[in-house]
Amino acid sequence: MTVTADTQPAPDQVSPEVKAIHRRMLRRRRFSRALSYLVGILISLWVLIPILFITSMALTTPAEVRSFPKGVLPLIPLSFDTLEFFLRSRGIIPGIINSVVVAVITLVLSTLIAAPAGYAISRFVFRGRDAFRLSILAVRAFPIVILSIPLAVVFINVGIYDSIFALALMHTALALPTTVLVLSSVFSSIPYELEEAAMVFGCSPVQAFRHVVLPLVLPGIAAAAIFTFVLSWNEVFAATILTIQNRTLPAQVLVTLNQSSEPYQFAGGFFMMIPALIFIFFIRRYLFNMWGQITK
Amino acid sequence: MAEIKVEYVTKRFGNFVAVDNVSLTVEDQEFVVLLGPSGCGKTTLLRAIAGLGMADEGRISIGERDVTYLPPRERKISMVFQSYAIFPHMNVYDNVAFGLKMNRLEGKEIDRRVREASELLHIENMLDRFPSAMSGGQRQRVAVARAIAMKSEVLLMDEPLSNLDALLRLEMRAELKRLLREIKTTTIYVTHDQIEALSMGDRIAVMKNGVIQQYDKPGIVYDKPANQFVGGFIGTPPMNFMQGLVQRHNGNVWVRIGDFNLDPVEGMQPLLRSYDGQTILMGIRAENMETLKQPAKDALQVEVLVVEPLGSQTLLTVKIGGDIVKVATHPTFEVSPGMDVWLRFPAEKIRWVDQPSGRVLYAV
Amino acid sequence: MPSAIGAKSRKKTNWAPYFLIVPTLVYLALFFAWPMAQGLLLAVREEGALLTLRPEPQSSSAIAGRLPRGTRVNILDQQANLIPPDELSEANLVTEVWFQIRAEDAQGQPVEGWTPGQRIRVREVDDNGAPLAGTVRPILSSTADPLTPVYAEPDGNSAILTALESPTPVQILDQATLEVWYRISGEQDGQIVEGWAQSRYIQVLSELTQGRIDRGNTSMLTTRHIQRMVSDRFFWPAVRTTLLLIVLIIPVQFVLAIIMALVVQANPKGSGFFLYVFSIALGVSDLAVGIVWYSIFTQFGYLNSLLQGLGLIDTPIIYLSARSQQWILIAVWLAEIWRATAIVMVIVVAGLQAISREVLEAAEVFGATLWQRIRYVILPLLRPSLQVALILRTILAFQVFAVVIVLGGGDIVTVLANETYRQYYDLRNFNVAAAYASFILLLSMVSAIFYLRAVRTQEEVTG
Repeated sequence: MTVTADTQPAPDQVSPEVKAIHRRMLRRRRFSRALSYLVGILISLWVLIPILFITSMALTTPAEVRSFPKGVLPLIPLSFDTLEFFLRSRGIIPGIINSVVVAVITLVLSTLIAAPAGYAISRFVFRGRDAFRLSILAVRAFPIVILSIPLAVVFINVGIYDSIFALALMHTALALPTTVLVLSSVFSSIPYELEEAAMVFGCSPVQAFRHVVLPLVLPGIAAAAIFTFVLSWNEVFAATILTIQNRTLPAQVLVTLNQSSEPYQFAGGFFMMIPALIFIFFIRRYLFNMWGQITK
Repeated sequence: MAEIKVEYVTKRFGNFVAVDNVSLTVEDQEFVVLLGPSGCGKTTLLRAIAGLGMADEGRISIGERDVTYLPPRERKISMVFQSYAIFPHMNVYDNVAFGLKMNRLEGKEIDRRVREASELLHIENMLDRFPSAMSGGQRQRVAVARAIAMKSEVLLMDEPLSNLDALLRLEMRAELKRLLREIKTTTIYVTHDQIEALSMGDRIAVMKNGVIQQYDKPGIVYDKPANQFVGGFIGTPPMNFMQGLVQRHNGNVWVRIGDFNLDPVEGMQPLLRSYDGQTILMGIRAENMETLKQPAKDALQVEVLVVEPLGSQTLLTVKIGGDIVKVATHPTFEVSPGMDVWLRFPAEKIRWVDQPSGRVLYAV
Repeated sequence: MPSAIGAKSRKKTNWAPYFLIVPTLVYLALFFAWPMAQGLLLAVREEGALLTLRPEPQSSSAIAGRLPRGTRVNILDQQANLIPPDELSEANLVTEVWFQIRAEDAQGQPVEGWTPGQRIRVREVDDNGAPLAGTVRPILSSTADPLTPVYAEPDGNSAILTALESPTPVQILDQATLEVWYRISGEQDGQIVEGWAQSRYIQVLSELTQGRIDRGNTSMLTTRHIQRMVSDRFFWPAVRTTLLLIVLIIPVQFVLAIIMALVVQANPKGSGFFLYVFSIALGVSDLAVGIVWYSIFTQFGYLNSLLQGLGLIDTPIIYLSARSQQWILIAVWLAEIWRATAIVMVIVVAGLQAISREVLEAAEVFGATLWQRIRYVILPLLRPSLQVALILRTILAFQVFAVVIVLGGGDIVTVLANETYRQYYDLRNFNVAAAYASFILLLSMVSAIFYLRAVRTQEEVTG
C-alpha cells in the first residue's frame, strides 16, 4: 500500500464539539497574548511617565517649573532656560567634568585589571579558581557603605582625600567584581579552538589573543566598560563622602539639596539621568548576559 | 484502540509551509517511522500530533477522539524528546514518576510502575541519582523510562538516539526495538537516519519538503522506492541513477546507456514505449550489479576510479556516461584503480525514473 | 566551551593564570578587604584610650603598664630625650633645649658633648642671638649632685662622658630641642602603675608634681561607639524604617519582576522594546530617581496637579512633611519599586531563559497544567536565580540612601545609610559612622545567610 504525495482538499466533517474546543483555544490564546501585551504596556507607561515628567520640567522655563498645576501636556513651553540655569550654577560644570573624569578613570582601570582575571578564569583550570570566583561573587554582594568610611579616613591620612583619583580608586573597587565575571563569560563564549588554530598557523599565544580573540570580545568588553561608566556616573554615597572641593555631579546636587530651588533640582535629576539612558540603550542586549552570568 | 489518523494536516511558519497537506494512518500498536532530511517536516508533524505547535489545517485523531485542538496533556500520549528533556532538579525516580504524579495516580501504583519501567531500562540502580551525575546514555534511558511508565496508548519519539555516540546508538537501537515490541503501544518515531528507520519500523513514511514521498514497509521502500528521492535517500550507498536514452524499433524498446544497450523487463516495455526518443533515468543499487573481470556480451565496460575496501564489501566508484556510480563487490574481488571491470545489470533490479517528475515507473 | 589548559600540563604548574589574577587580587585586597577590616576596627576601637608606660624613658617595646586616659598621676621624675623635629608641634609637649658644648674637664682634657641648656649660663651670643659661650651653672640644691653631666648624644639615655663643675667655661657649638619624659605613677583598679611616658601625653597641673593623662598612645577595643550609635535618637527610627521598607518593597518587587519577565518571554516580537524600557531603571542614579519622584509628590508637583485637574482636591496636599510621614514612606516605596525592580527582573529573565523549552514541553506532555508546571518545574529551576536576586536586592536595600534623603529631607524619615552619612559628614564622628556601616554589613550578612538557609530548606520539603 504505497501512498505517494497527492493533494486533495480537506473534507470538512468536523464535529461541533471540536469546533467549540478550537474556538475556545484560539480565544484563550488571543486573550492571554493581548493580556500580556496590555500588562507590558501598562508597566512601560509606569516606567516612562515619571521620566517624561522630569524631562518636561528640565526642558521648560523656571517659571513653568514653579507653576501649579503642572501642565498636562509636557514640554510646553519648550525652553532651555532651566537647563541653562542649572549648568551655570556654581559647581555644576566642574561637577560634570569631575564625574566624567572619575568615570573614565574607573572604566579604564577596572577593564585593565579585570580583563586578565576574566581571561584566566575562562581559559585556565587552576587550583583556587573556584575559591577566586566565589570570593569575587561575595565581594559583589558587599555594601559599599562599609568601604567608604574607612577609605575616607585612609585617604585623609595618605593625603589624597578629596581627589577625583581617590574616588576613581574606590569606584574601581566597586566595579571590579562585576567586570571580572562579565569578561570571563565573554571570553568563555569564544572557543579556545580559535586561538589554537591561530597558533597552529604561526601565532604566539599573545598574537593569537590579539588577532583572534580581541576583535571578537571587543563588543562585550565595550558593554562592560559602558556599564562601569554608568555605575560610576551614578554613584552618590561614596562620592559625597570622599569629595569636598572636587565634587562629582551627584555629590554636588545632593549636598546642595536643601538650599537649591526646584528648577535646579529637576534639571539636575534630568541631567544625571540622560547619559545613562542613552548608554543603557546601546548595551541593552548585553545586560542580560552580564547579570545572567551571576547566577552560578 | 489507539489508531492515529492524520488527515490533510498543514502547518506553516509565516510563509514557510513545514507540513503540506499530509495524511497518514498509523494502525493500533504499529511502529511507524517518519524519515527524512533536516527541514522535511517530520518533527513538525510529530509535534503537531503531540500538541506542541498545533496544525493550521486538517484533523488529527487518536482512537476515536478528534484531538486536533486539544492541549498535549489531554491527548493521553507519552513522548521522548531529542534532548531527553529530563528535569534537572529531580532525581531519576521523580523524573520517571513525573507523568504519573501529574495524572494523580496512587502512590503505590506510581512506585510499582516506576520500578517496572526502570528495570526494563536497566536504571533501577540509579533511582536517587541526579541528571547532572549521569552520562548521556543514562539520561536517555531515563527519558524512555519516563515515557513508558505512563503506559499510554501512543508513544512519540523525536530522534531519541541522535545524541548518542555511534556504538551506543547501535546498542540502544536493538534494545529499544526489543523493548517496544514488549509493551503494546502505537509508536511514531522520527529520525533522519535511514538505517534506524529500516531496522526499527513496521512502516516508514519518507518525507521531503513537508510532503510524504512514500509510506510503506521497509522492504518495499528499499526495493521499490516511489521516486528518485526515496531511492537516493534510503540505502548505503544510495541508489545510483544514470542517464539513458530510450530507443524503439518496431515492437521492442531498449535503453541506451553510453554505447551499451539495456533491455528492460517485459512488464516495463509498455510503459517505456511512450518515452521513445527521450532521456530516462536508470536506477540500480550498488549491490545489485554484477561485476566481472572479463568482458561479456551483456556487460558494460567501465574504468574503476576509486576502490574503497569497507570490510564486508568493497565499494568501487566508476563513471558511466557522465554519472558517478557506486558498485558494491565481494571483499575478495581484487581490483585497483585504473583497471577495467564489466558490469551486468539484472533487469528486474532496475528502477526506471521519469526524469521530470522523479517518479519511479512501475508496471501495475 | 573553554578547554582546560591548566589540566594539560602534567607536573609543571602553569603560572600564567596566577599572574593574570594577581592584579585583581591585589587591588581587592588593598581597596576592599583592608578597608573593610579597617572599617570594622574603626567601629570598635578607640584611639588613644590608653597610655602605655615604659620602664625606661625611651620607646622600647617593654611595657611597664597602662593607664586609661584621664587618670590623675603623680610626676616623680623627668628626663629629656631625642625627638624628631616634625613632632615638635604636638600638644602638651614639654621641651628642653640642650647645648652641644666643648670644654675642658677637671683633668684638663677636652671634652665635647651635650648637656641640658639650663645647666649653662650663657655669656656670649652671636648677632642672631644664638648662644656662643657660657659657664656651667652652680647647683643650688644641697642634696643634688653638684656636677653637671655631659652626654655623648642629645639624649638623656646616652652615655655620660664626664661631669663638669661650676663655673667651667664652655663653648656652645649647637643646640637641640628634646622632649621631656615624665616618670609617673597612677592608680588603676586598685593597683599602682608606674613608668615613663612622653610629656606630650600628660597635662601638668598647677602643682608641678601632679598631672593628668590627656590622651593615650594605644588603642583599646571598646563598645563605646556602638553604645553611642544605639543610644542615638535616630538609631531606632532608622532601623525601623529600613526594615519596614525592606519588608514592604521586596515582595512587591519580586512579583512585579516575575510579571515583567513573563511579559518579555511571552511577546517575542515586542521583547526588544519591553526589555529596554524595563531595564531603564538599571542606569538611573538613585539620586535622580529621588528627584523624579519628588517632582511628583512635591506640593506643586504632578500628583497634586493631576488630582486638582480631575477635580478631586481644591488645594494641593502636602505629602512630604513631618506631619505626613506615612506619605513620605509611600513615596519612597513607589520610588524604590520604580528604581530597583529592574535588577531583579534581569536576573529572573536570565534564569527563565536558562530553562530549556523542551523541559517545559515535556512537563506539558506528561500532564502538568500551567499551575503545575510553574510549581514543579519553573519555580524549582528558578530557585538559584531567585536566591541570588533576593540576596543582592536585600543587601542593596539596606543601603538605600539618596531616595530617602530627597523625599524625606534627611531628618523626617531616615534610614541607616543616611545616619552613616550624617555621623560622618555633619557630626564628624568617624567611629560612630563606622559603627553604622558595620551594622549595615552585619544585617546584610545575616539576611544573606538567612536566605541561603531558608530557600534551601524549602526544596528539601517539596523534593
